[in-house]
Parts: sequence; structure tokens; C-alpha cells
Amino acid sequence: MSQEIVDEVAKYLTSNIPIVPISQGAEAVVFTTTIHPYIPSSNNEKKEKFIIKYRPTKKYRHPLIDKSLTKHRTLSESRILSKLYQIDGIKVPKLIACDPYNGCIWLEFLGEDLPNGFGFSNLKNFLWMNAKDPYNDCVKDTLYKVGQQIGLLHWNDYCHGDLTSSNIVLVKDEDYGTNWIPHLIDFGLGSTSSLVEDKGVDLYVLERAIISTHSSFADKYNEWLIQGFSDVYKSKGKQGNKKLNEVLKRFAEVRLRGRKRSMIG
Amino acid sequence: MVNLNTIKPKNNRNYYLALGLEGSANKLGVGILKHPILPSHESGDNSHHCQAEILSNIRDTYITPPGEGFLPRDTARHHRNWCVRLIKRALEEAGINDPRNDIDVICFTKGPGMGAPLHSVVIAARTCSLMWGVDLVGVNHCVGHIEMGREITQAINPVVLYVSGGNTQVIAYSENRYRIFGETLDIAIGNCLDRFARTLKIPNAPSPGYNIEQLANKCKNKDQLVELPYTVKGMDLSMSGILAYIDSLAKDLFKGNKKNKILFDQKTGEQKVTVEDLCYSLQENLFAMLVEITERAMAHVNASQVLIVGGVGCNVRLQEMMGQMCKDRANGQVHATDERFCIDNGVMIAQAGLLQYRMGDVVKDLKETVVTQKFRTDEVYVSWRE
Repeated sequence: MSQEIVDEVAKYLTSNIPIVPISQGAEAVVFTTTIHPYIPSSNNEKKEKFIIKYRPTKKYRHPLIDKSLTKHRTLSESRILSKLYQIDGIKVPKLIACDPYNGCIWLEFLGEDLPNGFGFSNLKNFLWMNAKDPYNDCVKDTLYKVGQQIGLLHWNDYCHGDLTSSNIVLVKDEDYGTNWIPHLIDFGLGSTSSLVEDKGVDLYVLERAIISTHSSFADKYNEWLIQGFSDVYKSKGKQGNKKLNEVLKRFAEVRLRGRKRSMIG
Repeated sequence: MVNLNTIKPKNNRNYYLALGLEGSANKLGVGILKHPILPSHESGDNSHHCQAEILSNIRDTYITPPGEGFLPRDTARHHRNWCVRLIKRALEEAGINDPRNDIDVICFTKGPGMGAPLHSVVIAARTCSLMWGVDLVGVNHCVGHIEMGREITQAINPVVLYVSGGNTQVIAYSENRYRIFGETLDIAIGNCLDRFARTLKIPNAPSPGYNIEQLANKCKNKDQLVELPYTVKGMDLSMSGILAYIDSLAKDLFKGNKKNKILFDQKTGEQKVTVEDLCYSLQENLFAMLVEITERAMAHVNASQVLIVGGVGCNVRLQEMMGQMCKDRANGQVHATDERFCIDNGVMIAQAGLLQYRMGDVVKDLKETVVTQKFRTDEVYVSWRE
């Protein structure tokens, strides 16, 4: 992450809000902080952490394009997050504050560090941690639950747009110490859509992501994901079964397309 | 382990000579390229560092009148008319008197491209091959661009943005293939610019895109933009809607349709937007989309270098924007070439073809030289890299 961007964020947040950079994606930079935007910090005795997701100005594009994109994307991400948080069963981080004009959102912090230096507890690191015993019950259970999350998301007519194993954060289940509850994050490309096409593409993107990062075990992993996905639809009765068939049929069609047609040149 | 030196050059020389023939669109290019034998090529991934010497690089462009595009039939006729002359000139410039003994391999564009022009050039390639008894190699046009860009800029493993009249792709190398991470869902960026140039009826020489760039530079009010659709879809993009919209604006402007409030002030009837403004807005919008998907690909594969190839890659504004994007990423570097290598040329076909030849991949039977309009970048097995 370039120092300029860190400075830009620090200037926007002022020196009263200390930040620790975590990652830089293509579009946004992510920080953690211990300051809540509106609850006095004296209440924060547990030293709770929060996430700040900031979309820096992209100097390469025209300021007008940049402003409108930043505003649009921040707002749509916040909207989707707040809607999803209200739906029973769907696990997403809680939205705390949002400043669309400056491209900044505050979120609840999720996840933890995995043991033995495997890094942050997203699905990608978790699967790598389990690479020695790739098909154990914990992996199966987790992937099944991830599938369920995506199933619920689609059932409620939302699409994620960028499903990869690093966009799924695992949180320890407080009741059963060894189990993980998957949460979906990063809805920057999310949308509401009732089209089977969008859902099929969503599933295809996830399948490709799993194949490219966990290639040796991808078949089994994808099977479990689809199992969890299907069970959500099946539990919705006759209509659920009908919709499931439509989505899976389109998913198979999208897969056949590969990455689209050839171009001339 | 890659060994580029297994096939010995003709007559025990210490260098290879390749003739490259390109004619997949309206440019006919002939180039002759020399590769010395380097010890560093015996092992390891050094295909970006061939110390290639360009002995000749000649191009002739079929230019149509303003407002018209190039049709396959007429382009093919142009290539047929000029091919022999260009090859003769190229040989002369390179100082080759006896192609039978001097040239190791003839490389031609196998695809993708327009069928008829590809055909007329491959016929020339086959004829030369039979006449001189020289081996043939069929080259993927896109891989030609990538390999030439890597050789000129010495970029080791960049994310490649390939932007031209027929292609818009973001490519990264992995496991012996140039994999496509993002591409256009409908028309290519060059196509979009060319067709807008046709609507504006501006000249097609030296190239429509260049003339749009010059008009955009003349835009007086760079603080304002004409709002256009911004259509990035994940790592893909779509440009047909933008073209249709800006075309309709340009037509309204020429007709003087005062009812259009984007173009004319509704109270005074004064014109608010000029052709230069439209060109400027179009470029800003399209290039912002290109840079965004490139950045996405870079973040995805964790790369720090970008290489811009293809005809639109000469655009200074695009290079500038890419440079700015790279500056904001850790150790970001942008590599671009000038019009000699960006725009279709014969040398790039010779470069990729010679690498292929040195790995022992030659045409064994003329049946294999059939050209194809559809030939994806990721279909090629890149044996010369690790």
C-alpha cells in the first residue's frame, strides 16, 4: 500500500482515530481501528475492533467519474449490507456508519487469526490450513454452511458479484468451540437481482475461484458447496425445488460458455 | 526446463533469422528479426530477453475515406497487391540476398482476424516457404503482441492489457498459458473508437483513434464531462451501449437538435458541447474502465507490472492513466511501446514465431497452415516459458 493512500485516509479520519492497515484490494483499502464512530470510547472496555473500508480517490480517472463511482458503490454496498443484516439466517458484518461522498464505511470486525501462522480466518487460509487433511468433517461442515449462506443470499434475490474464498470470513461458533460460522463480506459488486443468469454467474465465479486457489481438492469442495446451496432451496418446498433447477441449469450453461466467445483482431 | 537453443540455425550460423508476415486486419506488415544464440537461453525463463535485432519492419495500411470502415474483400485485395513488394523491400533493407540460405523460418498470422485478409497473406507465406524451402510457423496474433511487448520493454511477468481494433483483453501468464482474466463482452475498444470516428467523419489516416486523441487534446473545458454509461462488470466490460449513446449525441449535434438539453441550453439555444468535448469524454470514460479492470487483475494475481500492447496502447492518455494507477500501488510499473510495435507489425509475428520455432514447433504439413478467424489467446501452449 503506498504511503500516499495511508496519508489520505489518515487526513480524512483525523489523528484522533488510529488505524492499522490490513489489505489493499483493487478498489478499496481496509483498516482496523478501536474507535467507534459515535459511541464514546470509554464504553469500549473490551477493546473491540472495527473495520474501516475506504475507497481512495483514483487519480487516474476524471474527478467527476471518480466521485460518482465512489459514491454509487459505497452507497450500494452499505444498502445491501444493511438489508442483508435484517434477513434471518444470512451472516454479514453489521454496518456501523457510512459516508458515501468520501467513500468510507465502518463495519463490525469479524474473524480472528488462525493458529500456527496461517493468517486471518478467511475461507482461503482455512482451506490451506487443512490441506494436509483436506476432507475432514470440519472442512465439509464449513463448506456446506458456506453453500447455505449463498443459497440464502440467492433465495432472497441478492447476488454477491465477487464470490471468492477470501471474501468469506469464518467466525468461531461460541457454542461449539470447533465449528466455524461463515460470514459473507465485500459486497462492492453486489446487486439485487431475480435473474437466474446473475445467480448462475455468481456460482460460476465461485467455482472458478475455488478451482484456481485450491485446485487439488476443488471437485469435492464444490460438491459440498452446491449441497449446502441446494438444501436451502429444497427446504422452501415445491417452488424452491423449481427455482433450484432453474439456477443449476443456468449454472451448467454458464460453465459451458467458458469465458465467452472468441474475438477477432 | 526451457532450452531455446536445441534447434540449430542454418549453415552453422550463430544467429537465427525470421521473416514475419502479418495481415489480420487493415495493416500489412513484413518484418525481419535476428536472434543471437545466447547461453542464458539454455536453461531458465529468459524468453523476454532475446537481444532481438530488428533488420526491417515495414508496414502498409489500407486507409479508407472518412466515414467508411475497411471491408474484408477490399482489405484482402490491398494485401494481395502489396505483399510481394513489401517482402522484397524488407529483404533488401535487411540485406538478405539469398533467402533460401539465410532465413530460418517464415512466420505468419494464423488468427484471430478477418478471414479474407488472413488468407491473402498466408498464401504469400506458403508460396515463399515452398519456393525457398524454408519452414513455416503459424502464430497467434495476440501472443505476437505480448511477446514483442515483453522483448522491447523487458517486462518479466506483467499483467498484459491488450487493446486494439478487434481485441480488449486483460491477460496474465500462468502455467504455460496466457490466461484471459477480463475481456470485452461485445465490441473491442478500438472498434468503438473507430466507429465513433466514422460518425464524426474524421479522416482514417494515420488512424481513427489517433485523430480522436488529437481532438480530445483540443477540448477546452476539461473540467466538465458528458456523462456516459460506465459499464464494468467484474473484470469484464461492455462498450456497445456507450458507442450507441455517444453516436446518438453526435448525430443530434450535427442535426442541430435543439431539444437535446445535454447539447443545447434550453433557454438561450446556445450549443453547450463540442465534438472535442465528446471525444474527450469518450476517452476518459473508456480508459477509466480499462485501467480499473487492469487494476483488478493486478490485485487478483498480485502482480506489480503492467504491459500495454495493441494499437490503442499508443494512446498517450491511456499510458498516462495507467502510470498514475501503478504509482498508487506498491512497486507498480507500467510498460508501453511506441507505434512501431504497438500497431500490428510483421516483427512481432517473427518474434513469437521464432520463439515457437526454437522450441521445435513448426508446420509439418501445409494442411496445418489453415488460418482461422477465431483463435483465443489461451488456446496457445506457451512452451518457451516456465
